[in-house]
Amino acid sequence: MSSLTKIPAGVQYFFDEEVRLRRHVEQQAMKVFAGWSYDEIIVPMFDYHDLFARGMGAERAERTYRFTDRDGALLALRPEMTSLVARTVATRFVQRARPIRLCYSGEVFRYDEPSERAAREFHQLGIEQIGQPSPTADIEVLLIAAELLKTIGLDEFRITLAHVDFFKGVAERFGSDEAKRANLRELIDRRNSIALDQFLQINAPDIAEERRQSFCQLTQIAGKAEAIAKARETLRNETSRTAIEQLAAIYDTLSALGLREQFDIDFGDAGGLEYYTGLTFKVYVPGWGTEIGSGGRYDNLISNFGKAEPAVGFSFALDGLVGARRNKNIALAAEASETIPLSDDQTRTFQSALALRKLGRNLKLQ
Amino acid sequence: MLTIALAKGRMQDDALELFARAGIVVAEEELKSRKLLVQSTDNRFQFVFVKPGDVPTYVEYGVADAGVCGRDVLMEANADVHEPLDLKFGYCKIAVAGRKEVVGQDYNLLATVRVATKYPNIATEYFHRKGIPIETVYLSGSVELAPLLGLSDRIVDLVETGRTLKENGLEVIDVITETTARLIVNRASFHLKRDEVSKLISELGNVLNK
Repeated sequence: MSSLTKIPAGVQYFFDEEVRLRRHVEQQAMKVFAGWSYDEIIVPMFDYHDLFARGMGAERAERTYRFTDRDGALLALRPEMTSLVARTVATRFVQRARPIRLCYSGEVFRYDEPSERAAREFHQLGIEQIGQPSPTADIEVLLIAAELLKTIGLDEFRITLAHVDFFKGVAERFGSDEAKRANLRELIDRRNSIALDQFLQINAPDIAEERRQSFCQLTQIAGKAEAIAKARETLRNETSRTAIEQLAAIYDTLSALGLREQFDIDFGDAGGLEYYTGLTFKVYVPGWGTEIGSGGRYDNLISNFGKAEPAVGFSFALDGLVGARRNKNIALAAEASETIPLSDDQTRTFQSALALRKLGRNLKLQ
Repeated sequence: MLTIALAKGRMQDDALELFARAGIVVAEEELKSRKLLVQSTDNRFQFVFVKPGDVPTYVEYGVADAGVCGRDVLMEANADVHEPLDLKFGYCKIAVAGRKEVVGQDYNLLATVRVATKYPNIATEYFHRKGIPIETVYLSGSVELAPLLGLSDRIVDLVETGRTLKENGLEVIDVITETTARLIVNRASFHLKRDEVSKLISELGNVLNK
Protein backbone atom coordinates (compact mmCIF):
# COMPACT_ATOMS: atom_id res chain seq x y z
CA MET A 1 0.00 0.00 0.00
CA SER A 2 1.23 3.44 -0.84
CA SER A 3 2.12 5.81 1.97
CA LEU A 4 0.06 8.41 0.09
CA THR A 5 -3.22 6.68 0.95
CA LYS A 6 -2.21 4.92 4.15
CA ILE A 7 -2.08 6.59 7.58
CA PRO A 8 -0.13 5.11 10.53
CA ALA A 9 -2.42 3.63 13.19
CA GLY A 10 -3.53 6.03 15.87
CA VAL A 11 -2.87 9.40 14.27
CA GLN A 12 -5.34 11.70 12.58
CA TYR A 13 -5.67 14.54 10.09
CA PHE A 14 -8.25 17.22 10.89
CA PHE A 15 -9.84 19.70 8.54
CA ASP A 16 -12.88 21.93 7.94
CA GLU A 17 -15.37 22.25 10.78
CA GLU A 18 -13.48 19.75 12.93
CA VAL A 19 -10.51 22.11 13.09
CA ARG A 20 -12.67 25.14 13.87
CA LEU A 21 -14.37 23.21 16.65
CA ARG A 22 -11.10 21.95 18.11
CA ARG A 23 -9.52 25.40 18.07
CA HIS A 24 -12.67 26.95 19.50
CA VAL A 25 -12.85 24.49 22.40
CA GLU A 26 -9.12 24.88 23.04
CA GLN A 27 -9.39 28.68 23.15
CA GLN A 28 -12.40 28.57 25.45
CA ALA A 29 -10.55 26.23 27.80
CA MET A 30 -7.40 28.35 27.86
CA LYS A 31 -9.54 31.41 28.57
CA VAL A 32 -11.08 29.69 31.58
CA PHE A 33 -7.61 28.69 32.84
CA ALA A 34 -6.35 32.26 32.37
CA GLY A 35 -9.41 33.52 34.25
CA TRP A 36 -8.14 31.65 37.32
CA SER A 37 -4.59 33.02 36.84
CA TYR A 38 -3.08 29.91 35.28
CA ASP A 39 -0.17 30.86 33.00
CA GLU A 40 0.43 28.78 29.94
CA ILE A 41 3.62 26.76 29.79
CA ILE A 42 4.98 25.37 26.53
CA VAL A 43 7.12 22.27 27.00
CA PRO A 44 9.17 20.35 24.42
CA MET A 45 7.61 17.65 22.26
CA PHE A 46 10.31 15.19 23.37
CA ASP A 47 12.69 14.90 26.29
CA TYR A 48 14.91 12.28 27.95
CA HIS A 49 13.09 9.01 28.51
CA ASP A 50 14.49 8.87 32.02
CA LEU A 51 12.51 11.99 32.91
CA PHE A 52 9.18 10.34 32.10
CA ALA A 53 10.20 7.15 33.92
CA ARG A 54 10.93 9.22 37.03
CA GLY A 55 7.64 11.06 36.70
CA MET A 56 5.07 8.44 35.80
CA GLY A 57 6.87 5.26 36.77
CA ALA A 58 8.97 2.91 34.66
CA GLU A 59 6.06 0.74 33.61
CA ARG A 60 3.97 3.52 32.14
CA ALA A 61 7.03 5.10 30.55
CA GLU A 62 7.41 1.85 28.60
CA ARG A 63 4.50 2.91 26.43
CA THR A 64 6.33 5.85 24.93
CA TYR A 65 7.69 6.32 21.43
CA ARG A 66 11.42 6.19 21.96
CA PHE A 67 14.40 7.08 19.84
CA THR A 68 18.03 8.02 20.36
CA ASP A 69 19.63 11.42 20.24
CA ARG A 70 22.72 12.01 18.09
CA ASP A 71 24.86 11.30 21.17
CA GLY A 72 23.06 8.02 21.85
CA ALA A 73 20.90 9.27 24.76
CA LEU A 74 17.44 7.74 24.93
CA LEU A 75 14.66 10.21 24.14
CA ALA A 76 10.88 9.84 24.20
CA LEU A 77 7.99 11.74 22.67
CA ARG A 78 6.13 13.24 25.61
CA PRO A 79 3.48 10.76 26.84
CA GLU A 80 1.99 13.31 29.26
CA MET A 81 2.66 16.86 30.33
CA THR A 82 2.73 16.63 34.12
CA SER A 83 6.27 15.21 34.40
CA LEU A 84 7.62 18.03 32.25
CA VAL A 85 5.75 20.66 34.26
CA ALA A 86 6.88 19.06 37.53
CA ARG A 87 10.56 19.08 36.55
CA THR A 88 10.28 22.73 35.48
CA VAL A 89 8.74 23.71 38.80
CA ALA A 90 11.25 21.66 40.80
CA THR A 91 14.26 23.07 38.99
CA ARG A 92 13.69 26.41 37.29
CA PHE A 93 10.95 27.73 39.60
CA VAL A 94 12.58 26.90 42.94
CA GLN A 95 12.76 30.56 43.91
CA ARG A 96 9.23 31.49 42.85
CA ALA A 97 6.46 32.18 45.34
CA ARG A 98 3.95 29.37 45.85
CA PRO A 99 1.39 28.39 44.76
CA ILE A 100 2.43 28.16 41.14
CA ARG A 101 -0.41 27.91 38.64
CA LEU A 102 0.33 26.56 35.15
CA CYS A 103 -1.78 25.36 32.24
CA TYR A 104 -0.96 23.67 28.97
CA SER A 105 -2.44 22.56 25.67
CA GLY A 106 -0.74 20.15 23.32
CA GLU A 107 -0.35 16.69 21.84
CA VAL A 108 0.99 13.74 23.79
CA PHE A 109 1.99 10.36 22.35
CA ARG A 110 1.42 6.95 23.84
CA TYR A 111 1.63 3.45 22.55
CA ASP A 112 -0.88 1.19 24.25
CA GLU A 113 -0.69 -2.52 23.58
CA PRO A 114 -2.54 -4.62 22.66
CA SER A 115 -5.28 -2.27 21.57
CA GLU A 116 -4.98 -1.87 17.81
CA ARG A 117 -7.76 0.66 17.57
CA ALA A 118 -6.54 3.08 20.21
CA ALA A 119 -5.28 6.51 19.35
CA ARG A 120 -1.54 7.06 19.72
CA GLU A 121 -1.69 10.83 19.60
CA PHE A 122 -3.91 12.79 21.96
CA HIS A 123 -4.41 16.47 22.46
CA GLN A 124 -4.52 17.25 26.16
CA LEU A 125 -5.62 20.41 27.95
CA GLY A 126 -4.82 20.73 31.59
CA ILE A 127 -3.65 22.61 34.63
CA GLU A 128 -1.26 22.02 37.52
CA GLN A 129 -1.39 23.86 40.83
CA ILE A 130 1.77 23.42 42.89
CA GLY A 131 2.52 24.42 46.45
CA GLN A 132 -0.90 24.52 48.09
CA PRO A 133 -2.20 21.62 50.17
CA SER A 134 -5.67 20.07 50.20
CA PRO A 135 -8.50 21.00 50.29
CA THR A 136 -8.23 24.64 49.06
CA ALA A 137 -6.31 23.81 45.90
CA ASP A 138 -8.41 20.68 45.29
CA ILE A 139 -11.62 22.69 45.31
CA GLU A 140 -10.06 25.32 43.06
CA VAL A 141 -9.15 22.83 40.33
CA LEU A 142 -12.54 21.08 40.57
CA LEU A 143 -14.31 24.41 40.10
CA ILE A 144 -12.13 25.17 37.09
CA ALA A 145 -12.98 21.78 35.55
CA ALA A 146 -16.68 22.44 36.13
CA GLU A 147 -16.47 25.92 34.63
CA LEU A 148 -14.65 24.62 31.57
CA LEU A 149 -17.37 22.03 30.92
CA LYS A 150 -20.16 24.59 31.30
CA THR A 151 -18.35 27.10 29.09
CA ILE A 152 -18.14 24.74 26.15
CA GLY A 153 -21.78 23.69 26.50
CA LEU A 154 -21.42 20.32 28.26
CA ASP A 155 -23.71 21.22 31.17
CA GLU A 156 -24.79 17.67 32.00
CA PHE A 157 -21.36 16.58 33.18
CA ARG A 158 -20.70 14.35 36.15
CA ILE A 159 -17.46 14.47 38.14
CA THR A 160 -16.77 11.53 40.45
CA LEU A 161 -14.53 12.14 43.46
CA ALA A 162 -12.40 9.46 45.05
CA HIS A 163 -9.42 9.24 47.38
CA VAL A 164 -6.53 6.78 47.03
CA ASP A 165 -6.27 6.31 50.81
CA PHE A 166 -9.79 4.93 51.01
CA PHE A 167 -8.68 1.79 49.19
CA LYS A 168 -5.18 1.78 50.71
CA GLY A 169 -6.71 1.73 54.19
CA VAL A 170 -8.81 -1.28 53.33
CA ALA A 171 -5.90 -3.07 51.66
CA GLU A 172 -3.64 -2.51 54.69
CA ARG A 173 -5.05 -5.61 56.34
CA PHE A 174 -3.42 -7.74 53.65
CA GLY A 175 -0.02 -6.31 54.50
CA SER A 176 2.55 -7.25 51.91
CA ASP A 177 0.37 -9.89 50.23
CA GLU A 178 0.52 -8.29 46.78
CA ALA A 179 -1.67 -10.92 45.13
CA LYS A 180 -4.53 -10.37 47.56
CA ARG A 181 -4.30 -6.60 47.32
CA ALA A 182 -4.38 -6.83 43.53
CA ASN A 183 -7.33 -9.21 43.68
CA LEU A 184 -9.24 -6.88 46.01
CA ARG A 185 -8.51 -3.93 43.79
CA GLU A 186 -9.63 -5.75 40.67
CA LEU A 187 -12.93 -6.80 42.28
CA ILE A 188 -13.66 -3.25 43.46
CA ASP A 189 -12.67 -1.74 40.12
CA ARG A 190 -14.91 -4.18 38.24
CA ARG A 191 -17.78 -3.35 40.65
CA ASN A 192 -18.27 -7.05 41.17
CA SER A 193 -19.85 -6.82 44.62
CA ILE A 194 -20.91 -10.46 44.83
CA ALA A 195 -17.42 -11.77 44.16
CA LEU A 196 -16.04 -9.09 46.47
CA ASP A 197 -18.32 -10.30 49.23
CA GLN A 198 -17.11 -13.88 48.73
CA PHE A 199 -13.49 -12.75 48.66
CA LEU A 200 -13.82 -10.87 51.95
CA GLN A 201 -15.73 -13.71 53.54
CA ILE A 202 -12.76 -15.99 52.91
CA ASN A 203 -9.87 -13.57 53.34
CA ALA A 204 -11.19 -11.28 56.07
CA PRO A 205 -13.42 -13.53 58.17
CA ASP A 206 -13.18 -11.18 61.18
CA ILE A 207 -15.43 -8.59 59.49
CA ALA A 208 -19.04 -8.95 60.61
CA GLU A 209 -21.46 -9.89 57.83
CA GLU A 210 -23.42 -6.66 58.06
CA ARG A 211 -20.34 -4.47 57.75
CA ARG A 212 -18.97 -6.61 54.95
CA GLN A 213 -22.15 -6.30 52.90
CA SER A 214 -22.36 -2.61 53.60
CA PHE A 215 -18.80 -2.22 52.30
CA CYS A 216 -19.64 -4.16 49.14
CA GLN A 217 -22.66 -1.96 48.44
CA LEU A 218 -20.61 1.13 49.15
CA THR A 219 -17.97 0.26 46.58
CA GLN A 220 -20.47 -0.81 43.94
CA ILE A 221 -22.42 2.40 43.33
CA ALA A 222 -21.26 6.00 43.63
CA GLY A 223 -23.39 8.38 45.66
CA LYS A 224 -23.68 11.69 47.46
CA ALA A 225 -24.11 12.62 51.14
CA GLU A 226 -25.68 9.23 51.91
CA ALA A 227 -22.56 7.49 50.58
CA ILE A 228 -20.38 9.51 52.94
CA ALA A 229 -22.66 8.66 55.87
CA LYS A 230 -22.53 4.99 54.96
CA ALA A 231 -18.75 5.07 54.61
CA ARG A 232 -18.40 6.65 58.06
CA GLU A 233 -20.49 3.86 59.55
CA THR A 234 -18.72 1.08 57.69
CA LEU A 235 -15.00 1.84 57.74
CA ARG A 236 -12.97 1.50 60.93
CA ASN A 237 -9.37 1.89 59.80
CA GLU A 238 -7.71 5.28 60.32
CA THR A 239 -6.36 5.67 56.78
CA SER A 240 -9.75 5.17 55.12
CA ARG A 241 -11.51 7.32 57.72
CA THR A 242 -9.15 10.24 57.11
CA ALA A 243 -9.77 9.87 53.37
CA ILE A 244 -13.54 9.91 53.92
CA GLU A 245 -13.32 13.11 55.97
CA GLN A 246 -11.13 14.81 53.34
CA LEU A 247 -13.63 13.89 50.64
CA ALA A 248 -16.54 15.02 52.83
CA ALA A 249 -14.92 18.41 53.38
CA ILE A 250 -14.45 18.93 49.65
CA TYR A 251 -17.93 17.68 48.85
CA ASP A 252 -19.58 19.92 51.47
CA THR A 253 -17.96 23.00 49.98
CA LEU A 254 -18.98 21.99 46.44
CA SER A 255 -22.56 21.41 47.67
CA ALA A 256 -22.63 24.81 49.35
CA LEU A 257 -21.52 26.31 46.02
CA GLY A 258 -24.53 24.79 44.27
CA LEU A 259 -22.70 21.91 42.56
CA ARG A 260 -24.27 19.04 44.47
CA GLU A 261 -25.88 17.55 41.35
CA GLN A 262 -22.74 17.47 39.26
CA PHE A 263 -20.47 15.78 41.81
CA ASP A 264 -20.57 12.22 43.14
CA ILE A 265 -18.47 10.41 45.68
CA ASP A 266 -17.15 7.15 44.27
CA PHE A 267 -15.78 4.79 46.92
CA GLY A 268 -15.44 2.12 44.24
CA ASP A 269 -12.69 3.92 42.35
CA ALA A 270 -9.43 2.21 43.24
CA GLY A 271 -7.39 3.59 40.36
CA GLY A 272 -4.30 5.78 40.12
CA LEU A 273 -2.69 4.36 43.25
CA GLU A 274 0.86 4.57 41.87
CA TYR A 275 0.67 8.21 40.94
CA TYR A 276 -1.83 10.00 43.13
CA THR A 277 -1.62 10.64 46.86
CA GLY A 278 -5.03 12.04 47.81
CA LEU A 279 -8.09 13.20 45.92
CA THR A 280 -8.62 11.71 42.46
CA PHE A 281 -11.45 12.51 40.08
CA LYS A 282 -12.89 11.52 36.73
CA VAL A 283 -15.14 13.47 34.41
CA TYR A 284 -17.97 11.97 32.37
CA VAL A 285 -20.38 13.60 29.92
CA PRO A 286 -23.34 12.14 28.01
CA GLY A 287 -22.47 11.08 24.50
CA TRP A 288 -18.92 9.99 25.28
CA GLY A 289 -18.36 6.41 26.42
CA THR A 290 -15.18 6.94 28.42
CA GLU A 291 -13.96 9.55 30.89
CA ILE A 292 -13.10 12.77 29.08
CA GLY A 293 -10.95 14.11 31.84
CA SER A 294 -9.27 13.08 35.06
CA GLY A 295 -7.02 14.45 37.73
CA GLY A 296 -6.01 14.42 41.33
CA ARG A 297 -3.44 15.22 43.97
CA TYR A 298 0.11 13.96 43.51
CA ASP A 299 2.16 15.23 46.44
CA ASN A 300 5.06 12.83 45.78
CA LEU A 301 5.65 13.55 42.12
CA ILE A 302 7.61 16.78 42.44
CA SER A 303 10.02 15.10 44.87
CA ASN A 304 11.16 12.88 41.99
CA PHE A 305 12.69 16.02 40.51
CA GLY A 306 13.56 18.04 43.61
CA LYS A 307 12.05 18.64 47.02
CA ALA A 308 8.57 17.37 47.89
CA GLU A 309 5.70 19.78 47.34
CA PRO A 310 1.94 19.42 47.35
CA ALA A 311 0.46 19.47 43.86
CA VAL A 312 -2.89 18.91 42.19
CA GLY A 313 -4.02 19.03 38.58
CA PHE A 314 -6.13 17.60 35.82
CA SER A 315 -6.10 16.99 32.10
CA PHE A 316 -8.89 16.78 29.57
CA ALA A 317 -8.81 14.94 26.26
CA LEU A 318 -9.63 17.43 23.52
CA ASP A 319 -11.05 14.53 21.45
CA GLY A 320 -13.58 13.88 24.20
CA LEU A 321 -14.55 17.51 24.70
CA VAL A 322 -14.99 18.05 20.97
CA GLY A 323 -16.68 14.68 20.38
CA ALA A 324 -19.23 15.13 23.17
CA ARG A 325 -19.94 18.65 21.99
CA ARG A 326 -20.39 17.49 18.41
CA ASN A 327 -22.88 14.87 19.61
CA LYS A 328 -24.95 17.71 21.04
CA ASN A 329 -25.07 19.25 17.56
CA ILE A 330 -23.64 22.57 18.58
CA ALA A 331 -22.39 23.65 15.17
CA LEU A 332 -19.75 26.23 14.59
CA ALA A 333 -20.02 28.03 11.26
CA ALA A 334 -17.00 29.30 9.40
CA GLU A 335 -16.71 33.07 9.46
CA ALA A 336 -18.29 34.73 6.43
CA SER A 337 -16.02 36.33 3.88
CA GLU A 338 -16.52 38.70 0.95
CA THR A 339 -15.62 37.61 -2.54
CA ILE A 340 -13.32 39.74 -4.62
CA PRO A 341 -13.38 38.78 -8.31
CA LEU A 342 -10.06 38.33 -10.02
CA SER A 343 -9.49 40.68 -12.96
CA ASP A 344 -6.77 41.26 -15.51
CA ASP A 345 -5.68 44.29 -13.57
CA GLN A 346 -3.66 42.61 -10.82
CA THR A 347 -2.89 45.87 -9.05
CA ARG A 348 -6.54 46.86 -8.80
CA THR A 349 -7.60 43.43 -7.58
CA PHE A 350 -5.07 43.43 -4.80
CA GLN A 351 -5.72 47.08 -3.98
CA SER A 352 -9.34 46.27 -3.18
CA ALA A 353 -8.21 43.21 -1.23
CA LEU A 354 -5.79 45.26 0.88
CA ALA A 355 -8.46 47.92 1.44
CA LEU A 356 -10.84 45.32 2.86
CA ARG A 357 -8.13 43.76 5.01
CA LYS A 358 -7.28 47.18 6.38
CA LEU A 359 -10.88 47.39 7.61
CA GLY A 360 -10.40 44.01 9.24
CA ARG A 361 -12.86 42.26 6.91
CA ASN A 362 -12.54 38.67 5.66
CA LEU A 363 -12.13 38.14 1.95
CA LYS A 364 -11.67 35.46 -0.66
CA LEU A 365 -10.10 36.00 -4.08
CA GLN A 366 -11.68 34.02 -6.86
CA MET B 1 -33.57 4.04 28.46
CA LEU B 2 -30.62 1.66 28.73
CA THR B 3 -29.19 -0.01 25.66
CA ILE B 4 -28.01 -3.56 26.29
CA ALA B 5 -25.83 -5.54 23.89
CA LEU B 6 -26.48 -9.28 23.88
CA ALA B 7 -24.30 -11.94 22.29
CA LYS B 8 -26.21 -13.65 19.51
CA GLY B 9 -26.62 -17.42 19.63
CA ARG B 10 -27.05 -19.68 22.60
CA MET B 11 -26.09 -17.11 25.18
CA GLN B 12 -28.85 -14.85 23.84
CA ASP B 13 -31.62 -17.25 24.89
CA ASP B 14 -30.14 -17.77 28.35
CA ALA B 15 -29.72 -14.04 28.80
CA LEU B 16 -33.27 -13.20 27.68
CA GLU B 17 -34.60 -15.88 29.97
CA LEU B 18 -32.74 -14.39 32.91
CA PHE B 19 -34.00 -10.90 32.07
CA ALA B 20 -37.55 -12.29 31.79
CA ARG B 21 -37.26 -13.82 35.26
CA ALA B 22 -36.30 -10.34 36.49
CA GLY B 23 -39.45 -8.96 34.85
CA ILE B 24 -37.70 -7.51 31.80
CA VAL B 25 -39.57 -9.02 28.89
CA VAL B 26 -39.18 -8.74 25.14
CA ALA B 27 -42.35 -9.55 23.18
CA GLU B 28 -42.29 -12.83 21.26
CA GLU B 29 -43.08 -11.25 17.88
CA GLU B 30 -40.20 -8.80 18.33
CA LEU B 31 -37.81 -11.70 18.88
CA LYS B 32 -39.13 -13.65 15.91
CA SER B 33 -38.59 -10.68 13.63
CA ARG B 34 -35.17 -10.18 12.14
CA LYS B 35 -34.73 -6.85 13.89
CA LEU B 36 -31.31 -6.32 15.42
CA LEU B 37 -32.72 -3.71 17.79
CA VAL B 38 -35.73 -4.53 19.99
CA GLN B 39 -37.33 -2.96 23.06
CA SER B 40 -38.56 -4.51 26.27
CA THR B 41 -42.33 -4.35 26.80
CA ASP B 42 -41.94 -1.74 29.54
CA ASN B 43 -39.75 0.41 27.24
CA ARG B 44 -37.04 0.61 29.87
CA PHE B 45 -34.52 -1.27 27.79
CA GLN B 46 -33.41 -1.54 24.22
CA PHE B 47 -31.59 -4.71 23.23
CA VAL B 48 -29.11 -5.00 20.40
CA PHE B 49 -28.00 -8.39 19.16
CA VAL B 50 -24.38 -8.55 18.07
CA LYS B 51 -21.65 -11.13 17.56
CA PRO B 52 -20.32 -12.37 20.92
CA GLY B 53 -16.87 -10.94 20.36
CA ASP B 54 -18.33 -7.52 19.64
CA VAL B 55 -20.22 -7.12 22.93
CA PRO B 56 -17.24 -5.69 24.86
CA THR B 57 -16.57 -3.25 22.01
CA TYR B 58 -20.14 -1.89 22.02
CA VAL B 59 -20.02 -1.47 25.78
CA GLU B 60 -16.50 -0.07 26.04
CA TYR B 61 -17.32 2.62 23.48
CA GLY B 62 -20.56 3.40 25.27
CA VAL B 63 -22.92 2.85 22.33
CA ALA B 64 -24.44 0.19 24.58
CA ASP B 65 -24.69 1.01 28.28
CA ALA B 66 -24.47 -2.61 29.33
CA GLY B 67 -23.99 -6.04 27.80
CA VAL B 68 -23.96 -9.74 28.40
CA CYS B 69 -21.03 -11.84 27.21
CA GLY B 70 -18.75 -14.63 28.33
CA ARG B 71 -15.76 -13.97 30.53
CA ASP B 72 -13.63 -15.57 27.81
CA VAL B 73 -14.62 -12.85 25.34
CA LEU B 74 -14.03 -10.19 27.97
CA MET B 75 -10.55 -11.48 28.79
CA GLU B 76 -9.60 -11.76 25.15
CA ALA B 77 -10.82 -8.25 24.36
CA ASN B 78 -9.17 -6.86 27.51
CA ALA B 79 -12.08 -4.41 27.61
CA ASP B 80 -12.06 -1.60 30.14
CA VAL B 81 -15.58 -2.01 31.54
CA HIS B 82 -17.28 -2.70 34.86
CA GLU B 83 -18.30 -6.29 35.48
CA PRO B 84 -20.82 -6.14 38.33
CA LEU B 85 -22.48 -9.55 37.99
CA ASP B 86 -21.59 -13.14 37.30
CA LEU B 87 -24.78 -14.39 35.61
CA LYS B 88 -23.78 -18.02 36.27
CA PHE B 89 -24.93 -19.48 32.92
CA GLY B 90 -22.73 -20.42 29.95
CA TYR B 91 -20.18 -22.28 32.09
CA CYS B 92 -17.08 -23.43 30.20
CA LYS B 93 -13.37 -23.90 30.74
CA ILE B 94 -10.66 -22.26 28.70
CA ALA B 95 -8.09 -24.99 28.35
CA VAL B 96 -4.87 -25.94 26.66
CA ALA B 97 -5.29 -29.21 24.78
CA GLY B 98 -3.20 -31.39 22.53
CA ARG B 99 -2.85 -34.88 21.07
CA LYS B 100 -2.61 -37.66 23.64
CA GLU B 101 1.09 -38.09 22.95
CA VAL B 102 1.98 -34.60 24.11
CA VAL B 103 0.00 -34.75 27.36
CA GLY B 104 2.40 -34.78 30.28
CA GLN B 105 5.35 -33.85 28.10
CA ASP B 106 7.50 -31.00 29.35
CA TYR B 107 7.70 -27.90 27.25
CA ASN B 108 11.07 -27.20 25.72
CA LEU B 109 11.65 -23.76 27.16
CA LEU B 110 13.80 -22.71 24.25
CA ALA B 111 11.57 -23.89 21.43
CA THR B 112 8.55 -21.88 20.37
CA VAL B 113 5.24 -23.65 20.91
CA ARG B 114 2.80 -23.18 18.09
CA VAL B 115 -0.74 -22.76 19.42
CA ALA B 116 -3.91 -22.60 17.34
CA THR B 117 -6.68 -20.61 19.01
CA LYS B 118 -9.60 -18.23 18.85
CA TYR B 119 -8.03 -16.53 21.86
CA PRO B 120 -4.54 -15.32 20.88
CA ASN B 121 -4.33 -12.84 23.78
CA ILE B 122 -5.36 -15.32 26.47
CA ALA B 123 -3.03 -17.95 25.00
CA THR B 124 -0.06 -15.59 24.77
CA GLU B 125 -0.59 -14.34 28.30
CA TYR B 126 -0.78 -17.88 29.67
CA PHE B 127 2.36 -19.18 27.95
CA HIS B 128 4.35 -16.03 28.65
CA ARG B 129 3.48 -16.27 32.33
CA LYS B 130 5.05 -19.74 32.24
CA GLY B 131 8.06 -18.39 30.36
CA ILE B 132 7.33 -20.42 27.27
CA PRO B 133 7.81 -18.78 23.88
CA ILE B 134 4.67 -19.02 21.78
CA GLU B 135 3.54 -18.48 18.22
CA THR B 136 -0.24 -18.17 17.88
CA VAL B 137 -2.17 -19.22 14.81
CA TYR B 138 -5.55 -17.53 14.77
CA LEU B 139 -8.47 -19.76 13.76
CA SER B 140 -12.12 -18.72 13.96
CA GLY B 141 -13.54 -22.24 14.34
CA SER B 142 -12.87 -25.99 14.34
CA VAL B 143 -9.72 -25.33 16.29
CA GLU B 144 -9.49 -29.07 17.19
CA LEU B 145 -8.37 -29.79 13.64
CA ALA B 146 -5.11 -27.91 13.99
CA PRO B 147 -3.10 -30.50 15.98
CA LEU B 148 -4.57 -33.36 13.94
CA LEU B 149 -3.31 -31.89 10.69
CA GLY B 150 -0.05 -30.72 12.20
CA LEU B 151 -0.84 -27.02 11.99
CA SER B 152 -0.04 -26.57 15.68
CA ASP B 153 1.36 -28.40 18.71
CA ARG B 154 -1.36 -27.28 21.08
CA ILE B 155 -4.69 -25.49 21.03
CA VAL B 156 -6.27 -23.07 23.48
CA ASP B 157 -10.04 -23.33 23.29
CA LEU B 158 -13.33 -23.40 25.18
CA VAL B 159 -14.13 -26.80 26.63
CA GLU B 160 -17.65 -27.48 27.81
CA THR B 161 -17.97 -31.24 28.21
CA GLY B 162 -14.76 -32.31 26.51
CA ARG B 163 -16.64 -34.49 24.03
CA THR B 164 -15.42 -32.72 20.88
CA LEU B 165 -11.84 -33.01 22.12
CA LYS B 166 -12.22 -36.69 22.92
CA GLU B 167 -13.80 -37.57 19.60
CA ASN B 168 -10.86 -35.95 17.86
CA GLY B 169 -8.27 -37.73 19.97
CA LEU B 170 -7.30 -34.67 21.98
CA GLU B 171 -6.90 -34.25 25.72
CA VAL B 172 -6.91 -31.32 28.10
CA ILE B 173 -3.36 -30.47 29.21
CA ASP B 174 -4.15 -27.59 31.54
CA VAL B 175 -7.18 -25.48 32.45
CA ILE B 176 -6.31 -21.80 32.11
CA THR B 177 -9.47 -20.45 33.69
CA GLU B 178 -13.21 -20.92 33.93
CA THR B 179 -15.76 -18.74 32.26
CA THR B 180 -19.43 -17.86 32.68
CA ALA B 181 -21.66 -15.12 31.30
CA ARG B 182 -21.12 -11.68 32.81
CA LEU B 183 -23.11 -8.48 32.97
CA ILE B 184 -20.79 -5.70 31.88
CA VAL B 185 -21.44 -1.96 32.15
CA ASN B 186 -19.85 1.01 30.42
CA ARG B 187 -17.81 3.14 32.80
CA ALA B 188 -19.46 6.42 31.80
CA SER B 189 -23.01 5.01 31.82
CA PHE B 190 -22.31 3.63 35.26
CA HIS B 191 -22.16 7.20 36.55
CA LEU B 192 -24.34 9.13 34.11
CA LYS B 193 -27.26 6.65 34.29
CA ARG B 194 -26.61 5.54 37.83
CA ASP B 195 -30.22 5.01 38.93
CA GLU B 196 -31.15 2.88 35.92
CA VAL B 197 -27.92 0.86 36.07
CA SER B 198 -28.13 0.13 39.79
CA LYS B 199 -31.78 -0.89 39.40
CA LEU B 200 -30.81 -3.33 36.65
CA ILE B 201 -27.98 -4.79 38.74
CA SER B 202 -30.20 -5.29 41.78
CA GLU B 203 -33.07 -6.77 39.75
CA LEU B 204 -30.78 -9.32 38.08
CA GLY B 205 -28.90 -9.89 41.34
CA ASN B 206 -32.12 -10.74 43.15
CA VAL B 207 -33.06 -13.35 40.56
CA LEU B 208 -29.59 -14.90 40.73
CA ASN B 209 -29.69 -15.15 44.51
CA LYS B 210 -33.00 -16.99 44.52
